Amino acid sequence: MIDKIKDMLLKGGADDVVVTRVESENTQVKFVNNKIVNNTVDSSNIVDVFVAKNGRLGSTTIKDVSEKSVKKAIDSLMSFIGKMERNKDYRGIAKGPFKYSPIEESYDKRVEDLDTADLVAKGVNVSLDEGAKRVSGIMETSCSDVSLVSSNGVDVSDKKSSIYYSVRALVDDDSSGHMNSCSCVLDKLDVEGASKKAGGIASLSKNPVEGKEGKYDVVFSPLAFTSILNFIGEAASSFSVESGMSFLDKGIGKKFGNFTLVDDGRLANGFGSLKFDEEGRPTQTTKVIEDGVLKTYLHNTSSASRYNVEPTGNAGLIYPRVTNNVLSGEKGNVFDVKDGLYITNVWYTRFQNYASGEFSTIPRDGIFLIKNGEIGQSVKNIRVSDNMLEVMKNIVLMGKEKVHMKSWEAEDSCLLSDVLVKNVNISKPSEDDT
Amino acid sequence: MDTDLAGFAIKHLQGKGASYVEARMESHEGSGFVLKNGNPEVSGFDESSGIGIRFILNGNMGFATTNKLSKNEIRDVVERALRLTRSGSKIGENISFSDSKEVNDKFKVVQKQNILNVDPSEKLKIIKDVDKLVKTDSKYISLSDNIIRKFYVNSEGVNVYSEIPRVGMFYFLNLSQNGKGVQRWLQHGGVGGYECIKSWDLDEELLREIKELKRNMKEGVKANGVMDVVCAPEITGIAVHEAAGHPYEADRIAGREAAQAGESFIKESMVGERIGSDCVTVVDDPSLEGSYGFYKFDDEGVKGKRKVMIENGKIKEFMHDRSTSRQMGVMSNGAARACNYNMEPLVRMSNTFMLPGKYSEEELVEGVKKGVYIKSFMEWNIDDKRFNQKYTGSEAYLIENGQITKPVKNAVLEITTPKLYQSIDAVGDNLQLFAGNCGKGDPIQGIPVLMGGPSIRLRKVRVI
Repeated sequence: MIDKIKDMLLKGGADDVVVTRVESENTQVKFVNNKIVNNTVDSSNIVDVFVAKNGRLGSTTIKDVSEKSVKKAIDSLMSFIGKMERNKDYRGIAKGPFKYSPIEESYDKRVEDLDTADLVAKGVNVSLDEGAKRVSGIMETSCSDVSLVSSNGVDVSDKKSSIYYSVRALVDDDSSGHMNSCSCVLDKLDVEGASKKAGGIASLSKNPVEGKEGKYDVVFSPLAFTSILNFIGEAASSFSVESGMSFLDKGIGKKFGNFTLVDDGRLANGFGSLKFDEEGRPTQTTKVIEDGVLKTYLHNTSSASRYNVEPTGNAGLIYPRVTNNVLSGEKGNVFDVKDGLYITNVWYTRFQNYASGEFSTIPRDGIFLIKNGEIGQSVKNIRVSDNMLEVMKNIVLMGKEKVHMKSWEAEDSCLLSDVLVKNVNISKPSEDDT
Repeated sequence: MDTDLAGFAIKHLQGKGASYVEARMESHEGSGFVLKNGNPEVSGFDESSGIGIRFILNGNMGFATTNKLSKNEIRDVVERALRLTRSGSKIGENISFSDSKEVNDKFKVVQKQNILNVDPSEKLKIIKDVDKLVKTDSKYISLSDNIIRKFYVNSEGVNVYSEIPRVGMFYFLNLSQNGKGVQRWLQHGGVGGYECIKSWDLDEELLREIKELKRNMKEGVKANGVMDVVCAPEITGIAVHEAAGHPYEADRIAGREAAQAGESFIKESMVGERIGSDCVTVVDDPSLEGSYGFYKFDDEGVKGKRKVMIENGKIKEFMHDRSTSRQMGVMSNGAARACNYNMEPLVRMSNTFMLPGKYSEEELVEGVKKGVYIKSFMEWNIDDKRFNQKYTGSEAYLIENGQITKPVKNAVLEITTPKLYQSIDAVGDNLQLFAGNCGKGDPIQGIPVLMGGPSIRLRKVRVI
């Protein structure tokens, strides 16, 4: 069917065409205060169309694939782009055909019929056993068939499954812990581990005292650093760079720290892994930052041509997208800190200036002082107010065990461990206010 | 829209023993245009539609959604949702709703300049005209419109059809000068046709903003210490949305959003307690005609009404859906909203604002010996209990002996919610509302809202 849509568009005068169909079957179980409050099943079939003609670009979604509706949508789209203006930066789409190889741990048929309620019930009990009084969260499953054809010889499809478990355990208003488990295959989903961690953090964070502002060496848990890493990954998109929304602008060849960031579209068990990008180009493993040095931005065909480099398999037809952020660096005992903080979760990351990197983000759930390598007193009401360039520069050590992570606010999948960042600026409201 | 499918779904679920069923069919039709540094990116138009069917089976809630609009497909997804719900009943919460009134209503927002009749080339020209005004290092300007047609029916005698058109614009500007940089974004939005755009005065706004941001880059000084602060309506608006809107959502208070958007430091038992000074009254009102957050009936078929969250400094009322209102022993005040057919309705804001007072903004400033006037912001955030918040000025000025003087660079107000509202000693008469897309839920649902208020004066707060 998508092949037919492509042919009809070419017959209608289009130069470049990409048609993508995503058929998804999704479930979500939402639990609140130890009980399931909603059970959702979603079934969808979406056909997206991209067209270029004389450098004019247009897109639409076809909701009804009957012959009559498809013809109407195609006529409307061709008329629509006729009224647009030429995008002088457009340089075409990927030229296939390509060879694709399978990605490990990308699809597990058992996810289709998973009894998520049983898993949730077990998870809630584990958190309660750790001392939590209330446990809330979601468990989602998704199984998708993605097919793509293009006017440049691409005809490819892939299957994808995923399970996302997000659990927050609360002891009281000031004491909570949060942890997620993300896996494409059932065997690597760790409901018990995530529930134990969330419950454990919640119990440990009882009776927090007001935090103090100042500079701290901070250990960010994988969940916490995922939010920050999402912004680093997105800053590497050439779209962000060209829009003035990147602190990595004019940074190719410059040193930003001592870590390595890989965009890995073929990561085994990666939520963001797929055999091909939105132009149908095979995804790849790209060293974005190697030993601190920025090697490349993320590109689709057009942006790569403008930068005179090879595409990185990150199309986005509008903007190049992150696939999976894989962070690595020197490994060691990140908690070997004299006076520091352990931040287990953050949210609400916002920038004063994306180009210069000033931002703040708010720790939520357990926050702990670290004294002489030991996790101690929990604290509250603090904020990380810093600059992303400084944070990157001050990443000094990473934990030994990497986990797959994404979160409510940070949707780009990451593979990372605990991260120690030196001299992080911590601010807070005046003591008189609290 | 084949509304018979909604009736089919309800009947099918009632036949399976559901004690309550609602079906929400939606079709979204719209277009979007983007200029990046003056260059037109992929523009497009979309038509999508689907059905969301929520039900209660033996006290447990289920939700089936699909965009495959045939009886067979709907039956299939409903059957799977029934299986999931039965399985979930092992640890299922007993869900019940407050009473509802029977309703039969159709309404359609009138457009003077219909979205579907404006040629795509004219829409592109609107942002190209804006783009021409803006001479910055880089910029991103977008325009979008859509018409949401919604048919809602439930098993308790509610039957509502609505048609709401919206137009929205967003711009992001990046300016730099001698190694210093400033950035600014702003969103506009309204309900109606393309006549909305005329009321936004974009030309005047952008030219003034750019001039003042450049001045701020060149001449901006730092301001630190405890001092008085006059916040312009844009700051009042974000503060009201974050710290007087979200904490009064009853589902947060009940813990239903704990793992996502968080909970609230406001508790059910705090109704009647003082949270701010006498001059602070904050409301949420979906009934304002032409407003970005407008609706007549919410997504549970309850008529939307004005809610008074804070009245003369005291906590008065929360925003409710039918579930939280039942839990707290009140009636729903019509705050349940979903951003699309495949999302569950959650307790949401609509148009949230502080009611104006009697002072002009000039009078507020005249009453300050030493302080800061913050006109707009860039960076902001608040914790998940809505207690500890930060607003960083984009455009701000020193106030010296009752006069606005030099520009201030990045004036930061990092403050708790009680301190913020208790520090307000005077409220201006210059009510202004700003558009935004509020995020909540998992998957996150962006909902169009307005937020605003008049200028306000805060006494003796810390500026960083």
